[in-house]
Amino acid sequence: MPYVPKKQVFNASINAVELGTGDKAVTIGGNNILPFYSFDAPAANLAKIGVEITDTALEEYVQPGLKSFYEGCATIEDMAAKAQEMPGASFIVLHLEGADPNGLNKSTEECVELAKKVADKIEMPLVIMGCKNIEKDAELFTKISDALSGKNILVLSAREENYKTVGASAVLAYGQKVGAESAVDINLAKQLNTIITQLGVPAQSIVMQAGSAAAGYGYEYVASTLDRIKNAAFVASDNMLQMPIMTPISSETWGVKESILPESEQPEWGDPEERGIEMEIATATACLACGSDAVIMRHPAAIKAVSDMIEALA
Amino acid sequence: MAVKGLDIFKLSPKKNCKECGSPTCMAFCMKVAQGAVPITNCPYMSDQAIALLSEATAPPMKTIEVGGHKLGGETVMYRHEKTLVSPTRYAVELATDMDDAALEASIQGIKAVDYERIGEREYVEYVFIADKGAGADKAADLVKKVQETGRGAIVETKDADVIKAVLAVSTDVIIDGADASNWEELNGLVKDKAVLGVKAATPEEFFDIAEKLEKAGNKKLIFDVTADSVKQTFANAVTVRRAALVEEVKVLGYPSIVNLTRIAGGDIHMQTALAALFTIKYGSIVVMDKMTYAEALTLYGLRQNIFTDPQKPMRVEEGIYPLNGAGPDDPCMMTVDFALTYFLVSGEIERSKMPVNLIITDASGMSVLTAWAAGKFSSSTVKKTFDKLEIESKINNRTLILPGKVAVMKGEIQERLPEWNVVVGTREAVEIVKFLKDKEYEAAAAEVAKTKKPVETKAAEIIDAPLDFSKIVIPEIPHVDMGVHYQQRDPNSKKFVTIGERIHCISPVIREAMNTFNPEPILKRAAEQIKAGATYLDVNIGPAEKNGPELMTWAVKLLQENFDNVPLALDTANKKAIEAGIHVYNDVNGKPLVNSADAGSRISYIDLAAANGAYCIALCSADGIAKDNDERMHHCHTMLERGLSLGMEATDLWFDPLFLVVKGMQDKQMDVLNAIRLFADEGLKSTGGLSNNSNGAPKAVRPIMDSTLVAMCIMQGLTSAIVNPNDRRTMENIKTADLFRNYDLYSDSYLDF
Repeated sequence: MPYVPKKQVFNASINAVELGTGDKAVTIGGNNILPFYSFDAPAANLAKIGVEITDTALEEYVQPGLKSFYEGCATIEDMAAKAQEMPGASFIVLHLEGADPNGLNKSTEECVELAKKVADKIEMPLVIMGCKNIEKDAELFTKISDALSGKNILVLSAREENYKTVGASAVLAYGQKVGAESAVDINLAKQLNTIITQLGVPAQSIVMQAGSAAAGYGYEYVASTLDRIKNAAFVASDNMLQMPIMTPISSETWGVKESILPESEQPEWGDPEERGIEMEIATATACLACGSDAVIMRHPAAIKAVSDMIEALA
Repeated sequence: MAVKGLDIFKLSPKKNCKECGSPTCMAFCMKVAQGAVPITNCPYMSDQAIALLSEATAPPMKTIEVGGHKLGGETVMYRHEKTLVSPTRYAVELATDMDDAALEASIQGIKAVDYERIGEREYVEYVFIADKGAGADKAADLVKKVQETGRGAIVETKDADVIKAVLAVSTDVIIDGADASNWEELNGLVKDKAVLGVKAATPEEFFDIAEKLEKAGNKKLIFDVTADSVKQTFANAVTVRRAALVEEVKVLGYPSIVNLTRIAGGDIHMQTALAALFTIKYGSIVVMDKMTYAEALTLYGLRQNIFTDPQKPMRVEEGIYPLNGAGPDDPCMMTVDFALTYFLVSGEIERSKMPVNLIITDASGMSVLTAWAAGKFSSSTVKKTFDKLEIESKINNRTLILPGKVAVMKGEIQERLPEWNVVVGTREAVEIVKFLKDKEYEAAAAEVAKTKKPVETKAAEIIDAPLDFSKIVIPEIPHVDMGVHYQQRDPNSKKFVTIGERIHCISPVIREAMNTFNPEPILKRAAEQIKAGATYLDVNIGPAEKNGPELMTWAVKLLQENFDNVPLALDTANKKAIEAGIHVYNDVNGKPLVNSADAGSRISYIDLAAANGAYCIALCSADGIAKDNDERMHHCHTMLERGLSLGMEATDLWFDPLFLVVKGMQDKQMDVLNAIRLFADEGLKSTGGLSNNSNGAPKAVRPIMDSTLVAMCIMQGLTSAIVNPNDRRTMENIKTADLFRNYDLYSDSYLDF
């Protein structure tokens, strides 16, 4: 008897969450197949890539290839506008690293001002990444959600400790989308989605950030968390895990030794920028293959490769 | 599905004749399932059963061994379901029409990437030789050259002369070239010699060709799933794997080759993306144009993560890790070898930019507190690390910073490392940056240096000297009327044995009481637990390296003298302490229970229990959590055999399936429940730390989880559990279950007793 492969198409699907407005609005999620399994059924939406611009990018994007891409940009908002030209980019991520009270401690006002300038300068949807400080992030997300009312931005992200403030302000008061961040723990991911929903936030306004790690740095926990979330969402139709997943890649990969050790210290390793690009590519691909519906990346060469792969698999 | 021991048991004669050499049919069947003994060792197994089993026991995916590596042999689609066993291997492509200089350069390039990452050699394991019609000799020559470098060879060809020449050089190769048109010819040349690679455009075609090849007697195949597009290649890789493992289509159960040089369009970045994709999804060998450090560092790291066994924590090697350019004059920080702990701690130290020598000590891959409680991170293991790594001769600075969570070890370590100034660091990794930048440890170290006692020259201790009970001196035992009496019980009663877990050194109150020999908190918790209906009390004194025998002697006397000889479980990593405790133990209400042995490094606790007439908890694990119940039962039988050979009764061993936390190991809960049934079916007793299931759950939810689980477990045949007797729901369920099992006579007030 000839063999006929079975198709694996699920009744349940991942929520489709729209970011931004107008022509450049993008939809994250929406599929009822496992990532890239377009041989089972056509994907409703392809995986999306956001370009990360940190608020210190002018000084910190020093790798020659990266720097030359942004040549001529005098401000962060210039860089954000320029980033839209990257092939494969669908949205812009302003990462407010400098707001960290234990770091540069930039004031909330300064950050809101910057977010406004960036939003005014771009057409693509905007995602705001915080500084990981619970109180400061809650304040930043509230004020920025207010200032950018109507832009349909995503704030990344609310955590167990500040979900009430962030959820209530970003979504309920100002109509934005909210990220729900848990640290590589499927039980916590489900719990956080549940309690944010219990605030009155519609499930369709939530994007999950279920944890991230660079390839080789405990990535197995990320892989299994993503695999299990998608399995629960599809097979068990668990509607508290059907939120699409957005995973920051570049903020993890550009900090590891493989991406920063100077060639002078390890000559056989070669050019650090090339190592960083490959690290970013492999980590992003791995996350997408396990279940991320969108990834946040930085380097144009890495974004192009991953975007080409997404297209090739569509 | 691989066949389970229990399935074999159903077909066995069930006469327990012992002629096969195993004590019971069940034990024998478990060993057969493990592959430890052949089924033919049983003289009574019917031919029909043997035939059925050989079909059923055939794995869903063949393991193909070639070039020094095993490919395939997977049983699950995702690592979290069990584990993935054969890591993706990487190959680089050469062509026979390349000139000698180009070939030489490529081979040098392949050899250039060769390094170690967390105990694993990372290099290009295979070379893919594409036959471009440059002659049979050239191809055979290349195979020889490749094999001389220690790499496996894959030859892509359809040419009979090339195949013959290659096989004359070596049969440890893959001949990649059988397709719908030539499979018969190539099979004739390659079968019973080398591995035959099959090429087809779709999963349906792979099925057709593989079926024919299997009928022709060849099961040493590999599927080259490379198609003309990325999309079809991915579809082939996934569909074939899914067919084999999920749909149980055994004809498709072969490993795969994915040749990226054909589909990545010569773009090295695209190639890395695809290499990552096929590492995660089902490429057994991934062929690339080149592999430089830029690709290798990330791909091998990814591979190592994906193919690490989820049941076994990833460990970093014991050693000195100088961070931020630290040298001999910089301070030392210490933590355990659990990879996640290491990455967290080293990451924070790197963020601080302060030079620190991070010392990693061997703690069996456990986290700091778990390792400490299990005796794997103690002053003697620390001392061992210092000696082994010769730290005193390599580092001049004498400041040693300990994890804050084990501040309690500071004194003991200071004593063992008198040259050093031992300082307590932060409890959490996130506090490290501030801790190092503020340099508080410098003042603390100076303070230690000033106040520590001069080194006394002690007479060398005789290790493993027999315990001299007369030298155990303990504080006087107070006799306090707590208003609670332990009810006399029949040690052979069938009633559920509730072991109270609340006298445990991980509780700060109890830890402090044990440090100071303060009886009050211990008596208070004992009284509460006995009042609530505990049958046994567990006494966990922690690693207690220094004064274990004294502490256990004191605790046993304190509890038994105050509570009518309440039976006790003696719980510590210090064997001498258990021996001392048993020496003063009164077993009128039940023998002492040694907590616990396992099938790995703690197996000698069974000897200890046997020599002292005690019961012994036998944890069915060795290194890490058992993967499945076949492994659990294998450990069970290993320990059972050891106990029996030492003269114990089977019921003297209480088997512990190892209760797993729901938050994290939800999908393994039914395994635990089924293991209890397997113990019960063999007439074995069982117990375990049941409340571990609800670890990390909200306080209000834990009693619901514990009490439900205990009822489910009792139904499976659990005879005892280590629980919190002061949780009313759990105790009510236990008492009610005893009622239904007719071990306790009903009255309206049965719950009050």
